[in-house]
Amino acid sequence: MLQYTIRRLIGMIPIIFLISVVVFTLAKLMPGDALSGKIDPLNSDPEYIEEMREKMGLNDPIPMQYVRWMSGVVQGDFGDSFVHKRPVMELIGDRLPNTIILGISALLITYLLAFLMGRYSGRFAYSIGDYLISAFNYLALAIPSFVAALVAIYVFAINLGWVPATGSIGSGVEAGTLEYYLSKAKHTVLPALVLGAMATAAYTQFLRNDMIESSRKDYVRTARAKGTKESAIYNKHILRNSIIPIVTLLGFDIANLFGGAIITETIFTYPGIGYLFVESVNSRDYSVMMAIAMMLTILTLIGNLIADLLYGLVDPRIRLS
Amino acid sequence: MKKSAFWLLSLLLVMSVFLAACSGGGEKANTEKEPKDDGKASGEVKEGGKVTFGYTQPFKGVLSYAYYEGEDDANALQFMHEGLLAVNDELISEPNLAEYELSDDNTKLTFKLKQGVKWHDGEELTAEDMEFAWYLIADPTYEGARFANVAMIKGAQEYKDGKADKIEGIKVVDDYTIEVTVTEPSVNLLENIWIYPEPKHYYGDISSKELPDADQVRKAPIGVGPFKVKNIVPGEMIEFERFDDYWQGPAKLDGVVYKIIDGSLAQGLVQNGEIDVIEAPKDQWEAIKALDNVNPVEADAMSYSYIAFDWGHYDTKKGVVVSDNKKFQNKSLRHAMAHAIDRQAFIDGFANGLGKPLNTPFPSVSWAKIDDSEINPYEYDPEKAKKLLDEAGYVDKDGDGFREDPEGKPFTINFDAMAGAETSEARAQFILQSWQEVGLNAKLNGGSLKDFNLFYDTIEADDPSVETFMGAWGLANDPDPAGIWLSTDKWNMWRWYSEESDELIKKGITFPEDASKDVTEHRQEVYNEWQKLVNEELPIIFFEQRVDPWAINKRVGGVKVTPFGTDEFHKWHIVE
Repeated sequence: MLQYTIRRLIGMIPIIFLISVVVFTLAKLMPGDALSGKIDPLNSDPEYIEEMREKMGLNDPIPMQYVRWMSGVVQGDFGDSFVHKRPVMELIGDRLPNTIILGISALLITYLLAFLMGRYSGRFAYSIGDYLISAFNYLALAIPSFVAALVAIYVFAINLGWVPATGSIGSGVEAGTLEYYLSKAKHTVLPALVLGAMATAAYTQFLRNDMIESSRKDYVRTARAKGTKESAIYNKHILRNSIIPIVTLLGFDIANLFGGAIITETIFTYPGIGYLFVESVNSRDYSVMMAIAMMLTILTLIGNLIADLLYGLVDPRIRLS
Repeated sequence: MKKSAFWLLSLLLVMSVFLAACSGGGEKANTEKEPKDDGKASGEVKEGGKVTFGYTQPFKGVLSYAYYEGEDDANALQFMHEGLLAVNDELISEPNLAEYELSDDNTKLTFKLKQGVKWHDGEELTAEDMEFAWYLIADPTYEGARFANVAMIKGAQEYKDGKADKIEGIKVVDDYTIEVTVTEPSVNLLENIWIYPEPKHYYGDISSKELPDADQVRKAPIGVGPFKVKNIVPGEMIEFERFDDYWQGPAKLDGVVYKIIDGSLAQGLVQNGEIDVIEAPKDQWEAIKALDNVNPVEADAMSYSYIAFDWGHYDTKKGVVVSDNKKFQNKSLRHAMAHAIDRQAFIDGFANGLGKPLNTPFPSVSWAKIDDSEINPYEYDPEKAKKLLDEAGYVDKDGDGFREDPEGKPFTINFDAMAGAETSEARAQFILQSWQEVGLNAKLNGGSLKDFNLFYDTIEADDPSVETFMGAWGLANDPDPAGIWLSTDKWNMWRWYSEESDELIKKGITFPEDASKDVTEHRQEVYNEWQKLVNEELPIIFFEQRVDPWAINKRVGGVKVTPFGTDEFHKWHIVE
């Protein structure tokens, strides 16, 4: 297994390299750069823009810019953000906690709901309840997240006033106090619900189908024949087996966790990685954009690896070699 | 994607207000007159309380006037810092933190600072702080965009180039007096020179290059304004609290919260009181205006939109525009195209009436704006447009419904506009149809709108497919058209070359020959002449001047709205 892991890690290097070339090239192919937005006769002038382009090396050939960028990245230096005027890593570090809090809360909500719904659907397959759950799941899958977010804000924040509509923290609270954590939780609950509750479809159906399949297996028949209670069959025998593949999905969720939710974060003005990413694409803040893209690439690859390793751990029939 | 639409729309707005805010316009106007506030807030003034100021783009957190770039940061800076001068209601600079005096030959400017103005850390503001700000900006490692505002100081260029270790033209006389010598006299020196002091004692030895990322700017910035920073949540919120030693007396409010929201939520958040003061998104104005708890204020903005004709290209080697495109040289054609568009209907239909047609590049709030009776209003008149085209020889010879050019060749017009707002497509179609109705075969260049970056990339590169395009400019308080209109300006996007216009523009910033004559009066005369010229020549169709809608919660009083934003923050208060 160790050998397998090492081999996989080494295999990632060329993939990361290729992706970096693609990301960089695509970024540079976008029309405009961070200075295009500065067309403004009295605040800046064409000479200033030219001077800055020269200073930032935007006039150099793209391969040269790539080499310069890559040599920094290899040393762990992603450069400075032109728009924010500070090192990219600091900027990302600032946003990461918010994104992780939101990501974990959303993931917990997804897992909890999917588990409950999947268990019900699997046990009472083809019942009205099952169809209702499927209907909800596909509806949630189909509704664009910005619509869901806006509706949720209007209903829960603006009309009912239960939770604040935007931001990640209230005003006038001091860091470290109980009030601070409560405020943080209150601000996180709505975006987390929107993110989490809308993403249950895959997990629910996964669990449901696995349970239906398991229920036809020999060991279930044996259990029934021995007179085991129906609820014990489902909760003990089937569920335990069916939950295994779900756990392995965790690996794939790692990249999502750090990548943040671009649209949801933006609408809730929740300053996380997704929000930062959109902002930097829009303002052509290359260094930030590429750092986030690379971070997501690496996390996705590692997530896949973890998923594969988890498979091997939970299912002895799969051998990693 | 809905989001990017909001972003682009806001970017346009940022573009148009941004420079104004930077050049000092966004700051305080301390006139003796009654502030022109919302007028409707009445009732008992309550001491204390908090007001939330909303904005729809995340702020970067570069909280120093010398380094910030966007309106997002300017919105925060306006609460905490001020300049030596401020712009009054007539858009003319007047004393704020300092009195000024110009020498007889207009080359030496002396600022006399008020005594007892305190920074938020308790230190007094001195002349050295102003000197320090100029040095920061002229520093060879400075990476901000403000050098143009100190370039006129004698020796600043040499200092920037590393040829001198001091700026020759700056002289600190005593703690409260500072003298600046400029390279040449200029009528708009006060409007152009940098007037925001920086706290020298507080920044210490941090270099000009590192300052934008220093904690003194990012985490605990200070100024001399009515509110001091209490807490910054990056990209999301800044909390300000009252500064008790403010030089005009402590503010009435306990504090202000500057909060970033998503534009699509503006109406709801104003409605439920989470946001008290915000420049409302134009597409939601109809609904926001009607809210019970809102005082709607519409303020003329210092920005305008236009439809430009492409006159030629920019000769980079010579640094001058060349008007070598023959297509739109016929003046009747340009006039006809202007008469063909119903601008008022456009404004009512697409901007909730937030705008006014204009016919010169000066919005009506500018003091230099010519009287409307002296210029051609280009009213909507399709019959006149057709007549003008007939007379100029643009007639339909082959019977396809579209006019040919005077030589009988097919005549088509490419039109470019920026994508972004939800109504962008419809706006462009409105213009195209207006032209088609008078028989001109107009179509979208390339069949689609362009994204902001692509739009300007294409136009700046003088792409031959560009023939007409719709853009917008934001202006500073000084009316000098240089920067956009001179034939040497790279941002003369339409590439219009006119010696007469150049001459007038240059004359507009000279002092009158007769020294007894009032400078403003002299400039007004010159600019009237220039406006008549561009109004008649019509190198671009002047389209509409913008109106900014402000939603102010009825519980907040004393908010002054100016063409550049809100003002008089220390007078804001809660109304019972």
